[in-house]
Amino acid sequence: MNTKTTQAPPPASDSKHPMRVMFQGRISDKDRLRMKLTSPSFWIEKVWFFFRFVIMLGVSYVILSPFLSKILQSFMAKEDFVDATVSIIPKNWNLQMYKFLIIENEYFQAMFNTAALSLICALLQTFCCCMVGYGLAKFKFKGNKLVTVLVIITMAVPHSTLRLSMLQHFVSFDLAAIQSFNMKGPIELIFGNTIKLTNSFWPLIIMSMAGIGLKNGLYIFMMRQFFRGVPDELEESAYVDGSGTFHTFVRIILPLSIPMMITIFLFAFSWQWTDSFYSELFFAGAVNKTWLLPDIISTIPPSLETGYAGKAMYYSAIRNTGGILIILPLLIIYLFCQRYLVQGIERSGLVG
Amino acid sequence: MTNQVIPKRRHKPGGAALSTRKARQGWFFVLPFIIGILLVYAPIVIDSIWFSFNTLVKEIDPVTQVAYNVVKPAGFTYYREALQNEEFISTLLSGAGQLVLNVPAIVIFSLFIAVILNQKMLGRAAFRAIFFIPVILATGLMEAINLQDMLSGSIEGGIDTGAEGGGELISMMDIDMLFSNMKVGRELVTYVLGLVNRVYEIINDSGVQMLIFLAGLQSISPSIYEACQIEGATSWETFWKITFPMISPMILVNLIYTIIDSFTKEANVVMAFIERVHLIPRVHLATAMSWLYFLMVLLIVAAFAAIASSFVFYQKRD
Repeated sequence: MNTKTTQAPPPASDSKHPMRVMFQGRISDKDRLRMKLTSPSFWIEKVWFFFRFVIMLGVSYVILSPFLSKILQSFMAKEDFVDATVSIIPKNWNLQMYKFLIIENEYFQAMFNTAALSLICALLQTFCCCMVGYGLAKFKFKGNKLVTVLVIITMAVPHSTLRLSMLQHFVSFDLAAIQSFNMKGPIELIFGNTIKLTNSFWPLIIMSMAGIGLKNGLYIFMMRQFFRGVPDELEESAYVDGSGTFHTFVRIILPLSIPMMITIFLFAFSWQWTDSFYSELFFAGAVNKTWLLPDIISTIPPSLETGYAGKAMYYSAIRNTGGILIILPLLIIYLFCQRYLVQGIERSGLVG
Repeated sequence: MTNQVIPKRRHKPGGAALSTRKARQGWFFVLPFIIGILLVYAPIVIDSIWFSFNTLVKEIDPVTQVAYNVVKPAGFTYYREALQNEEFISTLLSGAGQLVLNVPAIVIFSLFIAVILNQKMLGRAAFRAIFFIPVILATGLMEAINLQDMLSGSIEGGIDTGAEGGGELISMMDIDMLFSNMKVGRELVTYVLGLVNRVYEIINDSGVQMLIFLAGLQSISPSIYEACQIEGATSWETFWKITFPMISPMILVNLIYTIIDSFTKEANVVMAFIERVHLIPRVHLATAMSWLYFLMVLLIVAAFAAIASSFVFYQKRD
């Protein structure tokens, strides 16, 4: 109560100043509101906010809706696929598809194998691409451009082009052996025969170590762009303090690039997880058919097989359920790592 | 404690200069890749190219009656056959056409979304999380499922095939009516219609591009925007005079990435066609075809890169 009355009115001399009149509360709140409401920029902004929000919602819907319908379909019973009244919401909720996919397609075994494979490959790829990207970004040497072009070319060669010779090379693996010219590699020269590497993790491990695996060109390129944004002064001061190049890389550069490395790791892990090309190529003769996760969509569990009218749609729903089962662990990991994904890329400073 | 003698810096007469040493260290860092390329990748590529110029013939030894494979040089037979295959040529052209139409759409769309995601808004974190789901998940898995559906569908000859596949979002008629009064030309209308119907595809293909653009936008210094604001530029002007030039290197990167990505994924029409040839099985022909395809896409990448790099603006560092 008292505080209001004790506030002294502005000195009369000051209040006559025109600027004071304009800015010292002489305009009533009502006037201000009117000014705000009549200004076009205010309305343009508000309309843009609304428009933007609607666009975002729409795109989110487009992204999420196929998952939604597939999830709902996965709970449907067999009968629902021939029932014309059922379109989105299942009538007979059940978990048959999940149950038989998990039991008969040995989901957990496949998940364990895939997790091990993806983890090994992703770790190797992250480290290798980090190193190569650092080398390309921070060192000027003859052939730097050539190596960069090679990186882009490995990204651009479609895998199916190399499928056959890749399989041949890993069925009888040797280093630098060009089979078409009968060029023998060191392994055959020393031990007398080549090694069969298919049906094991080795083909993918070797490719990951060398940075020529799945989409590794992109990772190397991203890492290169990231390191270009890291100021040179950081390493120079480390060098001045007597740190070696590799030591500087491990102790200074790697800790700095952890968010970016998480991004690359997440890419590598999830793309290896869902990849069916290599798993089909290298694990074609595996002991059982569903050795890796992407295989579980290619076989229909025997208990779910039917021969009735809505078969095609039903089988399609079973495959989609398999897809959900494949994606589910990834989605859980993504929800935890998602903020690093944006953070990592934000700091990457990809310019030039 | 004796007085420690500070070792004199020895100058090795034969020691390498700093630049040479740095170059050597550079080679050390790219060594894994170089080794991989030389020892594993190059032999695979050479064999694959050689494969397309040769043919394997099964012959039976007249004495021992044992079958064995004989390699016979085929020269350009497979390439000639591929180029004379009308279906292949038409698929190649339609694939290239699709690419040329899709790529600008994906790049523009992802830039637009990245600009929006970069602004402060309600629920930005949630939107970001949703928008990057396709990056993680839609890498061929959904396509593989659809492919399986199509394969099994075509074998069973079921009625249900394609029931879900081509669900058009908006009927052609509606948009047709809308645009026919605007006199904008037939081609544009069909292009827009195609885009609207492929919106799902486009959104799912632009996840990585969005991330790259977002990173580029984040790296633009806020002080430039501040200066613009003080000078009284509208946000429209700011976009075209500041954001666009600053982001243009990323546009080039995304252009190249989008082309490469959309032509190497398995859902691509040409890839699907080559896959079919592979399964017939005409393996040598399929290999020749895919090398031709690779050449074509390399040309497209070079053409796009040449056009794009003429307007790319590189900010000089310091």
